[in-house]
Amino acid sequence: MSTESGSQTGAVRAAIHTVGLTKYYGKQLGIEDVDLDVQEGEVFGFLGPNGAGKSTTIRTILDEIRPTSGSATILGMDTRADSVEIRKHIGYIPGDLALYPSLTGMDTLQYFGNMRGGVDWSYVDELVERLDSDLSRKVGDLSTGNRQKVGVIQAFMHRPELLIMDEPTAGLDPLMQREFQKMVGEVSAEGRTVFLSSHTLSEVQRVADRVGIIRNGRLITVESVADLRSKSMRQVEFVLDSPADAAVFQSVEGVRNVIVEGNHIEMSFGGDMGELLTTATEQYGVADIKTDEADLEEIFLTYYHEDDEAEEDRS
Amino acid sequence: MTQVNVFVKTASDRWLAWAIAAASVALFLLFGMSAYREIDLSIYTSLPEAFKSLIGISDTIDAGGLAVNVMFSTWGALMLAGVALAMGSSAIAGEERDGTMDILLANPKSRTYVLLSKTGALVLSVAVATVALWIPVHPIAALLGVEIAGLDVEALMLHLFANSLFFGMLALALGAITGNKGTATGATTAILVLSFFGVGFLPLIDGGQTISKVLPWYYFDGSDPVNNGVAWGHLAVLISGSVLLLVAATVGFNRRDLKGQSVGTTILDRVRGNPLLNRMIGQLAGSARVSSIWVKTVYDYQVLLLITAAVMFLVQGVMMGPMYASIPDETLATFDQFPEQLLALFGGGDMSTPEGWYSLETFGLMAPGAVILVTVVMGAGALAGEESRRTMGLLLACPISRSRIVLEKIVPMVLFAFLVGFATFAGVSIGSLVADLGMSVGNIAATATLQSLIGFVFGSLALALSAATGRVSIAIYGSIGAALFFHLFNSLGALNAALADLSWLTPFSYYLGNDPLNNGMDWNGAAVLAALSVILIGLSFVLFEQRDIRQRG
Repeated sequence: MSTESGSQTGAVRAAIHTVGLTKYYGKQLGIEDVDLDVQEGEVFGFLGPNGAGKSTTIRTILDEIRPTSGSATILGMDTRADSVEIRKHIGYIPGDLALYPSLTGMDTLQYFGNMRGGVDWSYVDELVERLDSDLSRKVGDLSTGNRQKVGVIQAFMHRPELLIMDEPTAGLDPLMQREFQKMVGEVSAEGRTVFLSSHTLSEVQRVADRVGIIRNGRLITVESVADLRSKSMRQVEFVLDSPADAAVFQSVEGVRNVIVEGNHIEMSFGGDMGELLTTATEQYGVADIKTDEADLEEIFLTYYHEDDEAEEDRS
Repeated sequence: MTQVNVFVKTASDRWLAWAIAAASVALFLLFGMSAYREIDLSIYTSLPEAFKSLIGISDTIDAGGLAVNVMFSTWGALMLAGVALAMGSSAIAGEERDGTMDILLANPKSRTYVLLSKTGALVLSVAVATVALWIPVHPIAALLGVEIAGLDVEALMLHLFANSLFFGMLALALGAITGNKGTATGATTAILVLSFFGVGFLPLIDGGQTISKVLPWYYFDGSDPVNNGVAWGHLAVLISGSVLLLVAATVGFNRRDLKGQSVGTTILDRVRGNPLLNRMIGQLAGSARVSSIWVKTVYDYQVLLLITAAVMFLVQGVMMGPMYASIPDETLATFDQFPEQLLALFGGGDMSTPEGWYSLETFGLMAPGAVILVTVVMGAGALAGEESRRTMGLLLACPISRSRIVLEKIVPMVLFAFLVGFATFAGVSIGSLVADLGMSVGNIAATATLQSLIGFVFGSLALALSAATGRVSIAIYGSIGAALFFHLFNSLGALNAALADLSWLTPFSYYLGNDPLNNGMDWNGAAVLAALSVILIGLSFVLFEQRDIRQRG
């Protein structure tokens, strides 16, 4: 049997699948050739700086805007032809959330609940309690964070198979962010899928299984969080016996982002540690050494840094 | 490099509205003058003397004078005052509602500085718009060979400037004092409309002329500046009034707390705060309200409907009956001598009969105006409003199709068009009953139905523009502009043979064209209006289905 009939043979169905998804606003590029595969049951982090094309990708697969070329499916259904059917199975928080200011939080949830033919209110009560949300006040009178809570509850309340969230923790305080991350973990544990965009790496790092990095409208890479960490990127600091020369260390393979201050030298490193240690001890002598596991922030910067250099080379 | 400050930004924010207002008036003037040129003006000179002086027609009346009078004393003045009003109410209260006043005042600028900058921008905008209205007058007259040398156009323009400024400042002051844009817009609009109609109507009754002197509009138009030149005393009243309003605004704005990006507290909200009443009211204001898109839309526009329906019912309906009865017989007798074409110009109808009176006073301008206001605001807000408030994305994340959203937005618009029509019907019927005018209830119902349908046409146009562009301003200005143009086209068609041949082109000819208040239902007209609406609505479905949803307003 061919692999195309995989869904019938019980293979994992893609929660989100895009092929060459491209969106131009007139002549201005939104996204280009985005090929994404988000598996059912995983938490997928969609990372990129402001204006990278995160929201454009999300708005395209939700059929808010139409692709210039390419196509997408959600839960096996075409995002254009089956858009209404798809929306029965998803929960969504738009980036820069706006709600109806004259409705209370409760009114808002009832409004969207009614459009879904009703929701389980005991579950809503549970969410309200977990997020410590006040639903009796008008949305227009709420602070950004409290408004965002209403948006989060709205997206979770009907237990959707797929949650699509564009920068969902904007405005939430650290306590609530942690609660949100727990909620995401629970959704994933139930076999449901979460797709969340962010420009905050640490947030995604805590909850995501895999990460896609988008920049200037193009998907640069998709890797598992574990793989990214195991790229053996480390932050290495030496205190040397004599003032250091950056060029000496830059000649070692895998060294990036070198910062020298007298006897003190810092770098990101992803190569043979023995070679680095030999260079340091033989050339200068090592008084102290400190290494940390690199977080996504640095890996992220490394990717972008390379991309910048590539662009500079092209120009 | 351009220096962008509060003044520059405020002045440039509304340039499109000003430009459209000025361009429409210029277009109307061109249109009006070319139409009046063809009219046999002896119908005016044969008017009864009392009436000629009342409406400011001299024996030397000519096409230019008429066109200038109608365009600027009525349309131009209302449009300019309307845009000034919108600018004034946005100036302070609008920034508070949008939540931008906080950030503005976080800069090292005093409240008084912000207020004065906003006022300066208003004065400049009104001045530029007035000049923009004035520029084409002489070229258009020359182009068409219409003589306007005997008219003091410049005096009229000066009055126009002062009048628009006054209403702009009134809205600005009310907004600055209360911080509530709705209050500023609503109260100023009410004063504008009442004073416009008061100045037109009050002189018809004994002692009315004196009473009309309390109305601001009297100081714009009362002295007939286009024929009599600048009335400095009147001008001083408007200007000093504006200055007083500025002082009141400064004091009021400096004394009160700034409002945040808040939605305000309604009486209903206070009642909901009471636990005993909460459950009952909650059902009414909450659960029921959000049961579906169309019900929520009904709630969203209930205030607009209530105000419009109340004005149509009370002022334009019930009160017009006793007013008609209070007009002295000799004044009514003079209407009897009016040439038919002239009456047609005023909206048709013979003023010596109650049907003619209601045709002119209620159904001629205010009835279609009120219903079109409601339907256009709802049609424009239906789709583009959700997009500019950025709530369309959430709505479209629910399992409902785009067509369903369009449909659920149309239902309240149709409902409200008919409710405004019904309020007018009820008001006019009661007015006729109270004053014992003996009008046919069936004919009133027929006319009110046609009124609803004309509203439906322009509401559907606004919906189609809203569906096509996602922009509220284009939908509103586009459909209101079209309504004004076609209304004028229709009025002038009564006087101009060339235009009369083309009158089938304007929707308004299917509204009062067959004089339904006297002749009963015009089924053909109703069918044309309904068909036109259906076509525009069909177009809305197609256009909205195809388009990218806008993310920003």
